[in-house]
Amino acid sequence: MTDQPLDPVDAGAITTPAARLASYIRGGGIVVPLLTALIAFVIAGLIVLITGHNPLTTYKAFFDGTGLNWLFPWTSGDDRTTAALNLQQTLIATAPLILVGLAVAFAFRAGLFNIGGQGQYLAGSIVAVWFGSKFSGMPHLLHVLLVIVLACAAGAAWAGIAGVLKATVGANEVISTIMLNWIAVWVGVWLFGLGGPLQNPETPSVPISSDVTGSAKLPVFWGNPNLQGLHVGLFIALATVVVFWALLNRSTSGYEVRAVGFNPEAARYSGMNVARNYVKVMAICGLFAGLAGAIDILGWQFRLATNDIQTSDIGFLGIAVALLGRNTASGTVAAALLFGALKSGTSQRNLDPSIFEPSLAFNLTLMIQGLVVLIVSTDVIALRILRRGGALNPFRRRPAPAEEEAT
Amino acid sequence: MTLTRERIGWAGIALAVIAAFIAVPPALVRSPVPSIVLAVLAIALGIYAVPGDRRLGWGAIVLGLLAGLGAVAATKSSSGNLRDVFTWSALIASMLRFATPLLFAALGGIVSERSGVINIGLEGMMLMGAFFGVYGSDLLGSWVGGIVVAVIAGGALALIHAAFSIHLRADQVVSGTAVNFLALGITGYVFVDHYGDNGTPDNISRAPDLNLPVLHGGFFDSAIGHLNLLTWSALLLVPSLTFLMFRTRRGLRLRAVGETPRAAETVGVNVISTRYVAVTVSGMLAALGGAYLSVGFVGSFNENMTQGRGFIALAAVIFGKWKPLGALAATLLFGFSSALADRLPTFSESTATLFQALPYVLTLVAVAGVIGRSRAPGSIGIPYVKE
Amino acid sequence: MTTDPAALELRGITKRFGAVVANDGVDFDLRRGEVHALLGENGAGKSTLMSILYGLYTPTEGEIRVDGEPVQIDSPADAIALGIGMVHQHFMLVPVMTVTENIVLGNEPSRAAGVLDLKEAADRVRELSDRYGLAVNPDAVIEDTTVGMQQRVEILRALYRGAKILVLDEPTAVLTAQEVAELFRVLRALKEAGTSIVFISHKLGEVLDIADRITVLRRGKRIDTVPKAGATEESLARMMVGRDVLLRVDKPAGRPSEPVLSVRDLHVRDDRGLEAVRGLDLQVRAGEIVALAGVDGNGQQELVDAIAGLRDPESGSVAVGGVEIAGRGVRAATDAGVAHIAEDRHRRGLVLPFTLAENLALREYRSPELSTRGWLHVRAIRDRARRLLKEYDVRGGDADSLASSLSGGNQQKVCVAREIEADPKLLIAHQPTRGLDVGAIEFVHRRLIAERDESRAILLVSLESEEVRALADRILVIYEGRIAGELAPDASDEELGILMTGGGSRTAA
Repeated sequence: MTDQPLDPVDAGAITTPAARLASYIRGGGIVVPLLTALIAFVIAGLIVLITGHNPLTTYKAFFDGTGLNWLFPWTSGDDRTTAALNLQQTLIATAPLILVGLAVAFAFRAGLFNIGGQGQYLAGSIVAVWFGSKFSGMPHLLHVLLVIVLACAAGAAWAGIAGVLKATVGANEVISTIMLNWIAVWVGVWLFGLGGPLQNPETPSVPISSDVTGSAKLPVFWGNPNLQGLHVGLFIALATVVVFWALLNRSTSGYEVRAVGFNPEAARYSGMNVARNYVKVMAICGLFAGLAGAIDILGWQFRLATNDIQTSDIGFLGIAVALLGRNTASGTVAAALLFGALKSGTSQRNLDPSIFEPSLAFNLTLMIQGLVVLIVSTDVIALRILRRGGALNPFRRRPAPAEEEAT
Repeated sequence: MTLTRERIGWAGIALAVIAAFIAVPPALVRSPVPSIVLAVLAIALGIYAVPGDRRLGWGAIVLGLLAGLGAVAATKSSSGNLRDVFTWSALIASMLRFATPLLFAALGGIVSERSGVINIGLEGMMLMGAFFGVYGSDLLGSWVGGIVVAVIAGGALALIHAAFSIHLRADQVVSGTAVNFLALGITGYVFVDHYGDNGTPDNISRAPDLNLPVLHGGFFDSAIGHLNLLTWSALLLVPSLTFLMFRTRRGLRLRAVGETPRAAETVGVNVISTRYVAVTVSGMLAALGGAYLSVGFVGSFNENMTQGRGFIALAAVIFGKWKPLGALAATLLFGFSSALADRLPTFSESTATLFQALPYVLTLVAVAGVIGRSRAPGSIGIPYVKE
Repeated sequence: MTTDPAALELRGITKRFGAVVANDGVDFDLRRGEVHALLGENGAGKSTLMSILYGLYTPTEGEIRVDGEPVQIDSPADAIALGIGMVHQHFMLVPVMTVTENIVLGNEPSRAAGVLDLKEAADRVRELSDRYGLAVNPDAVIEDTTVGMQQRVEILRALYRGAKILVLDEPTAVLTAQEVAELFRVLRALKEAGTSIVFISHKLGEVLDIADRITVLRRGKRIDTVPKAGATEESLARMMVGRDVLLRVDKPAGRPSEPVLSVRDLHVRDDRGLEAVRGLDLQVRAGEIVALAGVDGNGQQELVDAIAGLRDPESGSVAVGGVEIAGRGVRAATDAGVAHIAEDRHRRGLVLPFTLAENLALREYRSPELSTRGWLHVRAIRDRARRLLKEYDVRGGDADSLASSLSGGNQQKVCVAREIEADPKLLIAHQPTRGLDVGAIEFVHRRLIAERDESRAILLVSLESEEVRALADRILVIYEGRIAGELAPDASDEELGILMTGGGSRTAA
């Protein structure tokens, strides 16, 4: 329409999810996530109330379960010991959440929706448990490094499949990553199931992997290693956050990623290769998620049962983490802490069942996640027309000389 | 008949299918050689067909590979095992049972997506139907009541998705994902709160099977003589929905809204209300699928009972190119692979597990455009902005 | 006839979009059974006016009367109910549906329970088609039909709903000469049958052919309404293009030297697969500004895309400084020395959520000055930005401000700064002053001339004839994908207008 005036509203109408989120971050952005979390908790509290429980005591019980009260100087004695144990659990849960959150956040910054965190995490877990249970004679540091590198590579490769599909044939990454999630689950169940190639040969009737050898386990720095103490995976996760930030804000790759995420048209006009960026981004996201799998396996799980594979949902929690954290480094850490605390605070181990049943609490957590993501969804107005490839938008192509007419 | 590359591609596919089928009952050729030869031929024809019609060519190559591998595996196992697994009548019945929930949800997905709204939340809506079907049946004492409650629950969840996607112009994928979480949480919560450790009662009223005595036993009786009422409903829904979508006014307008909403608005069709209705209906249909699982088939509810079936249904929508008949074909295919996976444990536990991944692999291939270009409704995923 | 109320009357229509006034007190009336042309350049307000008529916008001020009665048109449904039918420039058809389905959509003949009666629909379509001589294939799928047929479908759709007033927005823009003749025949038949027609166009020859009366709009205002008798292409062009008050920068004579850009027999397709550039030749030398004048939609976008490396041409050659760059992508073009001030600074020129420093680095971020092996020299980027912001007098923000916080003029300065800083051999300036205020326009003009004097080759693509005449050393007029002619900057308005609108040597119909 040649007569359309150029006015600010027009520019707003074409912003990308990353762009809109950016304006939130700048505009006193911490208020909105806090508000979002608050609203979600209030609504959940209402549900608790309606179903005949006391939301205040319930939330207090959750809080006690998180161990965050350890931070308060007035907690002492037995309470303090319990709190310490709980806090260790919280932080153990937080570390991988940070990483899967980064896996989703990085993609969002590039304008992509990575729902495949679960599959990428599994890819990392599988490779970690596989190589962690071999080479038991290896020197500690070397073994750990080897396993981590391989797990990251596995995650990157798994995500890379979706990236390549998007870059070459324009396959929608939402669908392809969802499919890859489930493929990873079933491949995992197959690998460690009865008669599967990686099943623990010592327990032929149990569908479980071999155990990770001592030489690959991550050292514990707080708490008792035999009682699932807090392992150095937390530091690995935090270090990765720094890498995420540096990559995004200080490297040319990150510059390209952000440009493409904010305005693929302008990025193209500057000569950036948008398609290649998508592959790079997905691979990096997969790396983060695979790393999460590795630190869980090497840090506290030490083995993978088919049941674990089928019930794991950390990848999806990562979506809530990233969205609540507005896809930034610090936001992801904070949101991961929140959800990690929620997860451990409502776990069988930490929650006092006389106040609130842990299995109920687990479902309440799911609802809170859902509410958070729902509220955030309105921020993420996606005009994905700029990033649709062939499968969903047949008109979006640069005509080239000898292109065959695709039907 | 001219030998175009396209025809050769089809020939390749046909050969691959034959290669697979001769290794299993009733043909039961025990040597892998014929199958391998046919499979290799299929692949060769596929390679030749690629420059002419990329999707057919690649389809033949992929199918040839799968058929060859499958045939080799089949010949390695005993005939007894094969006969156990490939009891076709039982397989067909099983296939239809597995396909039913998928079909309901897929049909729902088609309605929603045809109006231009992506519905990732099919899984959640299905789950709502599964739980509230049992809940309703228990509370109201009849399976009909259960179905009604299930449909209402699914519709309500869909309404949330609709409100956020259409009115608040939220990202439809995020909103759908959120709705899945919500459904998991709500159904799990009410389930634990209401039924506690004992789970749902054993004697809830279930949807009846439709027994067809006219078939007098035999192959057809085992295959389709004892299917659930809901299964038949789903099958009947296919031609009904096809008719509704392509031969009625409402259907025409629905499709116009999904393709080019601005054009529809220009002639006075209300895009917003059409989409609202479509999404709500899709939730109700998905809920029916879930209700079948609990009230029609298993007779109880377990947390996260749907296990990702909603996503398979989404895959069926894409695979079936947004047409009810296509979705039927896709769900039957997926149902078949599940049915096979179900029977394979007698043969090999772990292969059965791998088969579970097949629907997702097939969809991945479809999305990659290798098997048929997936042409979604033109305006899908884009929130509609009235000027 | 003069005692009958006009079929349609628009009185004092004003439409504002924020600060922009798209229509300013426009009066327009349409008599029954007449073809009334609405003429004007881009941005004159033609499409806005008609969108108001069709209920897609509401007027800020003014009144609409149909058959003498004042009416409120709040939506297309209202317009349709009043008998107003619109044939849009960009067709509002559903590509995957058939001709019949598109025509009857929203008003479908049906049997019981809402079942479509497609046979009845097809019959009615055929009947209408025969009555007005609009040949269509009722069962064809729209995306497989020609543009000419699609337009006929649009017209039929309006007629199917009983339109007595038909508005056609640039209907001949996408038609061949043959199809134009067909269309005019149909329009005359409709006229006979009592339909009143508004014909929006910028093509003078056609307007003189078909219209009974002609109204000219310029910059949102109605200039005049004249009957066909006595109107000439020259008189219309003068009204359309006009002469507005605008600062004219002093321009010393240029000293062009060797050719930098050489385009030969270029053929480029647009997004729809149609040929937009049809065998175009042009040359730009160092030290000269060549302005490409023409009405929007004649291939400028595709030409610029091809030169900048954003689009692969079908055939032909684009060479910069002797290096062939056609079809080799943006980086190849940049390396050969092409810089491109994009037409739409919001969508293409800038990344609005980026800081000014980041935006200024968009072209050069991989250079050794600004990054090493993948790590950005943040300080160097910022220092560079500070320098450029000062040099180009960008106001409203510093290196760390977001691009979105600047005014349009300053945003454009940032784009200009970035491109010139890349030290290009060829600078493409595509609508560089669109939406800018007078001060910013003057700045950009001054800068372009200065760069010309630095021996750069500058290709200016502009829809503003004033700007073209102010800056150009040579003017090339583009029309329907080819160069229609070359003019000196002191060419008259009439000469320019005629070439731009396909007049002169071309005969309509």
